[in-house]
Amino acid sequence: MSRRIPIPLVLTLGFLALLVGVLVAGGVLVRSILTASYADAEHVRSARIVSADALRAQLDEETGVRGFSLVRDRLLLEPYSRGRAVLPGLLRRLRSDDGTLALRDAGRFVADADATNRRWLRQVAFPLLFVKRRNGHVLELHGKILVDRFRADIAAIDAALVRREKQGDAGAERAIGLANGFAIAAIVAVIAAAALFTIQQYRLAARLELEREKSEQQRRRAAEIRAAYEAEKRIADTLQEAFAQRVLPALPGVRLSATYIPATEEAKIGGDWYDAVQLPDDRVLLAIGDVAGHGIEAAVAMNKTRQMLISSALADPAPGQILERVNAEVVAAEFPMITAMAGVVDARAFKFSYSAAGHPAPVLFEPGRGARFLEVGALPLGINRDAEYATYCVTTVPGAMLVLYTDGVIEHSHDVLQGETLLLEAVEAAAGRAGQDPATEIREDIFGHHRVSDDIAILTIHFLNSAAVAGMPETAALRRTA
Amino acid sequence: MNQSDSIRTIRLSGELEIGRKDEIREALRRSASDRAVLVDLSDVTYADSVALTELLRFCVSSSRDAIPVALVVRTPQFARIVQYAGLAAAFKNFDDRDAALAYLAQSGAE
Repeated sequence: MSRRIPIPLVLTLGFLALLVGVLVAGGVLVRSILTASYADAEHVRSARIVSADALRAQLDEETGVRGFSLVRDRLLLEPYSRGRAVLPGLLRRLRSDDGTLALRDAGRFVADADATNRRWLRQVAFPLLFVKRRNGHVLELHGKILVDRFRADIAAIDAALVRREKQGDAGAERAIGLANGFAIAAIVAVIAAAALFTIQQYRLAARLELEREKSEQQRRRAAEIRAAYEAEKRIADTLQEAFAQRVLPALPGVRLSATYIPATEEAKIGGDWYDAVQLPDDRVLLAIGDVAGHGIEAAVAMNKTRQMLISSALADPAPGQILERVNAEVVAAEFPMITAMAGVVDARAFKFSYSAAGHPAPVLFEPGRGARFLEVGALPLGINRDAEYATYCVTTVPGAMLVLYTDGVIEHSHDVLQGETLLLEAVEAAAGRAGQDPATEIREDIFGHHRVSDDIAILTIHFLNSAAVAGMPETAALRRTA
Repeated sequence: MNQSDSIRTIRLSGELEIGRKDEIREALRRSASDRAVLVDLSDVTYADSVALTELLRFCVSSSRDAIPVALVVRTPQFARIVQYAGLAAAFKNFDDRDAALAYLAQSGAE
């Protein structure tokens, strides 16, 4: 896996590379300017020495000629000869330097000095050397004028060389200034790059710290949510456990069985419940319901609704009226939507009267007819204060079995028709086996030993035939919830 | 949402579960301009208690405000849920969209 290089680092490195390139190029430029400037200065100094030597040679020539003219001793011609030997070469070098150094106006002074020397030789030196003249002082005076002119030419050449030297010094100074500028720019650029890099590093560190804090907050939040969920589940578990009862009512002519399986851990706590409460005259109140939603709110709503339903049944056991009274209280309490069924079994008359509020239809199995769904169809509790709940009555036969359940029994595959078919088959199988706990048999027939995602409650009541009734013990009436 | 004359059509499909609560609640939001509402549930195959609560509250609320509501239910699985949830008894159900529109048009004319 390739690791991505941070853009700020790339920018900083690129900037430094560009800076190094500019510095190298600047250094080469400054070095070439300085080298040229120093070479030029050396050349100028050399030219000034040559011009001074030329003047000295001219003066030597004059000194020699004047001395010889006074005493006519050839020994005194030695300075003249020495100057005469070197002066043409020196003037050639000056002409050459004039071209090399491109001295403005100096060329004409070199030419004039050369011409002046030639005139001096022709008009002064040679007459004095080779012709004895009585007017020698006149020639010497003319010679002095020419030598002064030569001196003025040399002074003008020297002045040009001095100007050129100053120009060279100024160039060197500019080069040094340029070098200083490069150095300062480099320092500023390095400081800027360092500052940029530092700022980027600081931002990166700040962002990493922010992300770390965010991650830590999310971890803490997740832990808090998990803890809150576990606390809520413990409370809801405790509530359900507290409300649960172990023994169903037993009375002559009927046998009750029930099963309740809570939802899986992931689906949280459900609001399913059932009750079986013995009423006077061998009658039994059967109630089953399901509060929409999960958690403590559903558990509390479930418990209060269950209490209201039993209280209402004890006052007036007509199922439709029970549900209408409970519905009014559920609407007033603003509970979540609740599906429920209330039914009263008359064990002596084999009668079952019931009313349903948005709840799946109960199943009635009768020997010879098999299992079928009973009629239902009314709004759930808590939806409409004015909802009406009809009471249905069924008269059945010995050996019949009623099955009440919550929606998790038929909706596990989200295909209700398929779920209802499985339920009818399971009810018929359980009725055929005539076991002691048909509720559990039905549940295992449908779900096997798999865990369920929603709550499941099943309550059965089996109308016994006369032989079975004779063997039934009498026990206290109890209710059971899940 | 489609507007056909003054009839608002709300269409939901698939399995209506708690995971789609916000979507369902948004679709079933009451509007002051509602004169008649057709809730097209033709392609719905399942609804859990949370989705049913939203649907029921919308229907009851509309009914209370005298807004005619017609449900179109076509899948047998969902028709069974609608039956025991009391929707079939308390509100107008149709298995045909045109019949539902005709009912709403007639209700609006009355």
